Amino acid sequence: MFKGLFGSDKRGKILLYLYTHGEAYPTEIATAFQWYLNTVQNQLQKLEGDRIVYSRLRGKIRLFGLDPRNPFSREIKVILEKMLDFVSEEEKKKLYRPRLRPRRSGKPL
Amino acid sequence: MPRTPAIKGLSLRNFAVFVSDYLRRNGVETILSGGACVAIYTKNKYMSLDLDLVLAASTDYQKAKEALEAIGFLQKGRYFVHGDTRFFIDFVPPPASIGEEPVKEVAEIKKGKKTLRLLSVTDCVKDRLAAFYHWEDRQALEQAVLVALAHPTGLKEVRRWSRAEGMIEKYGIFLKRLKTRSSRSRRP
Repeated sequence: MFKGLFGSDKRGKILLYLYTHGEAYPTEIATAFQWYLNTVQNQLQKLEGDRIVYSRLRGKIRLFGLDPRNPFSREIKVILEKMLDFVSEEEKKKLYRPRLRPRRSGKPL
Repeated sequence: MPRTPAIKGLSLRNFAVFVSDYLRRNGVETILSGGACVAIYTKNKYMSLDLDLVLAASTDYQKAKEALEAIGFLQKGRYFVHGDTRFFIDFVPPPASIGEEPVKEVAEIKKGKKTLRLLSVTDCVKDRLAAFYHWEDRQALEQAVLVALAHPTGLKEVRRWSRAEGMIEKYGIFLKRLKTRSSRSRRP
């Protein structure tokens, strides 16, 4: 499914990860999917070259996210949202459902 | 041996004119966007070293690359550099767009027989505001204000576009900043 739409299964999964996480750094994505870091970096580089994702430095970390300035940004998000419907609950829970709301420091889990 | 053009010592504006014109003569249509437009429209009140050249939809990246390499540019990652200048070139894939909308009108700057095609003043303001709207980039907001102060800008169009982008509140911040700077610059 991802391959047909995005040219590569990995690229589609990376986009879905960025869509559900807002921003992420390459090591984080590589760890989540248990892929080589190089694989993730190469895909991100291609996506950035095509203006589908942006990157910015935050301290020493390079963060990536879906580029809101891409003219098809809204349509890409619609496709990704639809994609989520076809991801298993288990995979969603593991990869695509991060806790993004703040948690006060020191609060027991 | 590739012929080295006379690019040594060129200002950003003249360098952009040279590159844009050279590429067009070699079948590569581009539109200058990004910070270089701000530098040109504000006479370097904001300085940029990179030329973001959006390739026309019909243009092949390889053709653009070969044209630059033929006059001594070297590819370094995504960028093209040349030993005779500190400015560098980045090709942006098509389509030329500002947020969700395509660029409809392109401005031109002529220098002798050479022509530079670039974002219009209004689109340049919108382009900078897009960075402010989406990433809270205050530097981009200042750049938008600088351009709008330096040239007549289609503020109605900027307002319409801002609304379409869902950013009408942030447009208000821009307008307020523009008015403050404008009244300051009119003071004796």
